[in-house]
Amino acid sequence: MSNINGKIYALNAITPMKPWKTLVLRGFFFLLGHIKPLQQDLINLSFIEFARWVVLPRRQFPFLGNGQVKEELQYDYLLFFSNFNGTWNQYIDAFSAVLSKGLNLVWRWSEKFPGAVPVTPFKEYIARVQFDTDYYYTAYPHAAANDLKSAHIVQASLDSLSQRAQACTPEQFADAYLRFVLEVQAHLGETGEAPIVF
Amino acid sequence: MSKLNETDIQGFVLRGYNLPVARYFFLHFEDAARARMLIGRLLHHVTTGQLWDGGKPESTVNIAFTQQGLAALELPDATLLSFPVEFQQGMKKRAGILGDTGLNSPERWDELWRDDRVHAWLGINAQSPAALDHRCAAMVELLEETGGAVALAAQEAAAVVIDGKPTTREHFGFTDGFGNPDYLGVGRSSQPGQGKLLPNGSWAPLATGELLLGYADEAGELPVAPMPHILASNGTFMVYRKLHQNLATFRAYLDEHAALYGGGKEKLAAKFIGRWRDGTPLELSPDNPDSSIAQDPNRSTNFTYGADPEGMRCPIGAHVRRVHPRDAFGFNGKLIDRRRITRRGLPYGPFAAEGEPASDTEERGVIFMALNASISRQFEFVQQQWIEYGNDPHLGNDKDMLMGNHGGRGKFVVQGDASAANPPFICSKLPNFVELRGGDYFFLPSITALGMLAMGLVDPR
Amino acid sequence: MPNKNGTVYGLTILSPIIDDEQATPSHDLQIRKYLATLPTGEQSPFALAPGTHLARLVVMDDVIYVGMPACEEHLKSKYLVFESNCDGELDNYLAGLAASVPEHLDAIWSHCVGYPGAANQQAFIDYMKACQLETTFYFAAVNDKSVPETLRALQTQHAVADFIADHQGMEPARLQTEFARFVAELKSAPVPRPGSMGQPRSIKTGGRNE
Repeated sequence: MSNINGKIYALNAITPMKPWKTLVLRGFFFLLGHIKPLQQDLINLSFIEFARWVVLPRRQFPFLGNGQVKEELQYDYLLFFSNFNGTWNQYIDAFSAVLSKGLNLVWRWSEKFPGAVPVTPFKEYIARVQFDTDYYYTAYPHAAANDLKSAHIVQASLDSLSQRAQACTPEQFADAYLRFVLEVQAHLGETGEAPIVF
Repeated sequence: MSKLNETDIQGFVLRGYNLPVARYFFLHFEDAARARMLIGRLLHHVTTGQLWDGGKPESTVNIAFTQQGLAALELPDATLLSFPVEFQQGMKKRAGILGDTGLNSPERWDELWRDDRVHAWLGINAQSPAALDHRCAAMVELLEETGGAVALAAQEAAAVVIDGKPTTREHFGFTDGFGNPDYLGVGRSSQPGQGKLLPNGSWAPLATGELLLGYADEAGELPVAPMPHILASNGTFMVYRKLHQNLATFRAYLDEHAALYGGGKEKLAAKFIGRWRDGTPLELSPDNPDSSIAQDPNRSTNFTYGADPEGMRCPIGAHVRRVHPRDAFGFNGKLIDRRRITRRGLPYGPFAAEGEPASDTEERGVIFMALNASISRQFEFVQQQWIEYGNDPHLGNDKDMLMGNHGGRGKFVVQGDASAANPPFICSKLPNFVELRGGDYFFLPSITALGMLAMGLVDPR
Repeated sequence: MPNKNGTVYGLTILSPIIDDEQATPSHDLQIRKYLATLPTGEQSPFALAPGTHLARLVVMDDVIYVGMPACEEHLKSKYLVFESNCDGELDNYLAGLAASVPEHLDAIWSHCVGYPGAANQQAFIDYMKACQLETTFYFAAVNDKSVPETLRALQTQHAVADFIADHQGMEPARLQTEFARFVAELKSAPVPRPGSMGQPRSIKTGGRNE
């Protein structure tokens, strides 16, 4: 069992919410999904590959019959699944430092949520509601989200140069090649092993 | 915040003494009672943070302890176990986390650091070699009189002297010592660029708790600290690393690559660091050094990287940009405010000026001492994530050009522009310019806590 | 639809695990045991089947009690959580899993209530969809690239860094020739395998160091 595969960490969390609060939270997510600047912070943080929140109402747990007993719950639940680069502490420190307002809007509807600042009670809460991953797969254990983005930039730039290269004179090519190097020069980081998690 | 009690804080924490010579003794305690007596006697010598109204003293004395040292003083187990894990483990056991492997691995360290015999660091700084010898003789006499400790070794360190004057140069020829942060209540005057960046673009001192235990930190809480509070408050943690510099390797590498680089040798050297050798920041003066900037405290550290996201002026992987990224990661620098460290320390070994012969084998380097409230959150994070790794600046696994444990692999990209004098350039197959020769993690207590240690009066909690 | 972000699909499945007092060890422990030794690299079922960027499997034992004054409550079933970030349309993705790694799917999901087996592809897809939860908010850092495109881009990035380093200062005509050869070689190179730690240097980048 591990939450870690290469450069990626899988975090699972589940928190209880009073059902009437679920509606408010859904409203917030609706806004988040439709107002681009709100998403921009997540993009700028740049160490999340994928993340999702799933509101799970108390009567909508999958029920398949076949002898399964129906759930009887008082709370709705908020599930959170994140795929991030770096250590648990680093991730939560950064979340708390720069996204506290957004996080509070997401989790303040959950029971006992202490707020994203200060960070120590927030970390204690996350640690409490986190459950561990049994199996974690990534197609790119050697690459972080930043590496993936860089690689796509390099690929696009290379494709564009190679389309033009044939028709160029050597002098034109040298000039185009310099432009290409300038386009990719900030995106050439090595991929490889992740540092030891601590 | 309330005014700091400068008489309770070791002076070494509050200020760089700017004294040109130093000797660091490494002590081993053989008997707890005698060691406590020694600390009691040392208390009268320890330099506090009180202002030097009568001018600089001839010499200073400061002391710090390893986990083994505190255990040898017979602190209660409950207290010892309340120290942060990384301090309890010591730096050697953190080698994997820190990237201290291969050429930097503990089996290659100086003998002093290969076992766990170092209990305390006793640091003496002085105005002159004579003053240093004088104070050190008094210290040795105290050790012998009390029988409280044996000195396992002494490390000499001294500012590089050029034209008869002590300087802030290090052995590769760069002017050093620009980077220390300002903290609330600590500095007498603060310098733009040295604290934390505010949304309006101005700079403010960092929260005191980033340096000292017992005060609020940048997360709005007290830093993790040992119990009881009175043992921790006004104290801090110190990282000691002896960093050997391979001067011949550095010079040869620079010469070899400068021959291929269109911007010239001095510019390439500046691109490695992010500052010209005289200290002028590349970000402020990308084409040539400008001593009027380097020597002006209002300008020498007063810059950001926001207008240079592609690293065309200062490369994204340049040393100073890595270890103090300012606004480079966005969010007005908010992501870095809890990762800052305060550097103390001096070069050691003979200085070889440019043009004089130099080898890698000569004992030469820098004694790196970093002060921080949390070794794991501050020093270890910087070392692991910003020196030995590159994800935060979007550089993948690329390491710090200067400090990285490259082992002959890896690369450093000098981003450029379309001009002939500032071409893009890649330095690959990087050797280790710097090698770790040992060190450890220390707790640097307040004067009150030193008194408690001396009296054996620490209650468990 | 919040399950999708660009061309990436965020699949969330909660499959109730069979609660059988006769089973020893219990079904949830049997799932955990299987997952503990399931390969996570190139031999992972998610590497062998097409379309998975990242995926996780988690046995969710229960909900978590956060302490007073919240109420303590418990689930009647344990659930197997399958969280996948995958390419394209859900039916195609599930069909790809069923076609490529049915034995792994069966070994895992046969401990879940009502699982029909992967042999009947439509029944498998219907079952998975019956266990699916609608994602409320889905974030993807890169949402317009497939798995093979990403693997190729990573290979390209690595090779390009080497090529640039090895050809600094080369005169234009020769650079152009070397570049053409480099691009051709890169195009014909096989796509690296998903789940691997990256390619050993198979692309020759030429230049002064080779």
